[in-house]
Amino acid sequence: MADLATIVRFLMALLEQGALAMIPAVGFALVFNVPAKALKYCAVAGGLGMMVRFSALQQGISIELASFMAASTVGFLGIYWSKRLLAHPKVFTVAAVIPMVPGVFAFKSMIALVELNQRGFSTELFTVLVDNLLKAFFITGGLALGLALPGLLFYRRKSVI
Amino acid sequence: MDDNQNQRDVSRICVLAGQMLLQHGAESTLVADITRRLAYALGMAQVELSLSANAMVLTTIENDHCITTARQCPDRGINMRVVTDIQHICIMAERGVLDRQGVKTKLDALTPERYNRWLVLVVIGLSCAAFSRLAGGDLAVFLLTFLASCCGMFVRQEIAHRHFNPLLNFGATAFVTTAVSAQAILFDIGNEPFLAMASSVLMLVPGFPLINAVSDMVKGHINMGLARWVMASLLTLSTCLGIILAMNIFQVWPWLI
Repeated sequence: MADLATIVRFLMALLEQGALAMIPAVGFALVFNVPAKALKYCAVAGGLGMMVRFSALQQGISIELASFMAASTVGFLGIYWSKRLLAHPKVFTVAAVIPMVPGVFAFKSMIALVELNQRGFSTELFTVLVDNLLKAFFITGGLALGLALPGLLFYRRKSVI
Repeated sequence: MDDNQNQRDVSRICVLAGQMLLQHGAESTLVADITRRLAYALGMAQVELSLSANAMVLTTIENDHCITTARQCPDRGINMRVVTDIQHICIMAERGVLDRQGVKTKLDALTPERYNRWLVLVVIGLSCAAFSRLAGGDLAVFLLTFLASCCGMFVRQEIAHRHFNPLLNFGATAFVTTAVSAQAILFDIGNEPFLAMASSVLMLVPGFPLINAVSDMVKGHINMGLARWVMASLLTLSTCLGIILAMNIFQVWPWLI
């Protein structure tokens, strides 16, 4: 059945994305000096977030909205763990969304900015600058808003822990 | 007179906790929240806090008597273990497990101890290699990305250890990383050589400051958010200057296509 093959291929790709995203989540958690017992939560949240984003992208949802959905999943998960481990949710969640931070967009736009100065104005360079800058801006905004969502919706006037 | 001494001690303890939180990369809402809660737990009647990018001012009020104190908060790098430990101290003070002296002892005992640098180096190398795989690179790209980002991470740790300016550090690291990964283009290694260049510098994306910046601004700390945003942008810009310098030397321009 062709449908089944498509689903299996999708699931394999999904698992691969999740597994690969766990590595940078833990890697950056080490740079941020996250306590050792919280590392496995960073890995799980990182993998899950990437899987949510991958599924959303496959459905044709834009990358900004997909990042927002993934980050809010990670954000709610972070609240749940935060109560159990008595640590601020940002301890787990920021490392988990690091694999989704739009680094390549940010670098492309900044490099175009420097080259606009070096080579003089050209429409191509300016297009690269503006396109990538806006993408980086909105994806970062989506990620940060997604992480802040539980606080904005449910913890308006009280602390999580 | 004794009461006055108590208030002075509590103010010092609370501003120390807030200062450490701000230095180790906690978001502004958390800094303000923990500092206030700690001061209330230690018996203050009212607490006011003002944050700016590299300093904080704290006022405590007890028996209609104000004490205001300011502290410099130079950046010490993101350290979530310190943030978690201070949060635990605050919760213990709230539950009455720790008194003023106990909080002071615990805060003084905190060390910014970090993970083993070689472990971090290898794991960051693997992380960047995983980025290249996520973007669709093959094994050759994976290995070269790992090598390039390990070299970069080594340089970054060495420079950071000698307390150079972070902007300089990011530029130098980006230069070394790109100089190694540009060999992918020169020798046409792997299915998509550019992925090695793009993925290996991703360890320099200031993700934590960017996310903190947006959440600070959303939660009302506009000036803190702007300061963090500008710092993150400058770090990105200096990274790009390092990349461009290396691209100029090797005469490859894959980033601009």
